[in-house]
Amino acid sequence: MRASPKADAFVPVPDRSGVVLACVAAWMIPGAAHLLRGQRRKGLVFFFVLLLMDGLGVWLGGRLFPFDVHEPLVALAAASEWMMGAPRLIASMSGIGQGAVTAVTYEYGNTFLICAGLLNTLVVLDAFDIASGRKSA
Amino acid sequence: MTSHLGMMIVFAACVAAVFGALLRDAPRDQVRVGARIFSALVIGAYLVGWLLYLLFR
Repeated sequence: MRASPKADAFVPVPDRSGVVLACVAAWMIPGAAHLLRGQRRKGLVFFFVLLLMDGLGVWLGGRLFPFDVHEPLVALAAASEWMMGAPRLIASMSGIGQGAVTAVTYEYGNTFLICAGLLNTLVVLDAFDIASGRKSA
Repeated sequence: MTSHLGMMIVFAACVAAVFGALLRDAPRDQVRVGARIFSALVIGAYLVGWLLYLLFR
């Protein structure tokens, strides 16, 4: 019995460690996975724009939220902010991002910080798709 | 710089740049999609702002 042409087609098997590495790189440093894959323009856009958003968020008095399970919205905000990886880690280690609740720009800052993390989540998913062969580089 | 409109424009520009780079591969298409998303965000926010003002003044 002859196999169907579809079964004969070459299906590349993604390197699992490469996929994990790409995701971790994209999470820790926005755009790093795209830069490693040779997508220089995309990687630089992600790197500079997401770092700009994170920096603006801190500068505007936004808060780096802690994980607080008793406050679900705070926990969700913390989860999205942690998707920025290394910048979030450095910010929390250096003690910035306490949040100026009385500042007029407090909510603007939070919006920038949270959305930077959410956008980097999409960048990580894009890096996953490229590394696993679902999307062409 | 820290006016609501100014912040909204900066935010829309950042989001449009990231989505433009994510959704398209060719530079020309990236700019086109980014410009479209930027316009949609700014014009949409402006229209919703006026609508809320007229409804609840």
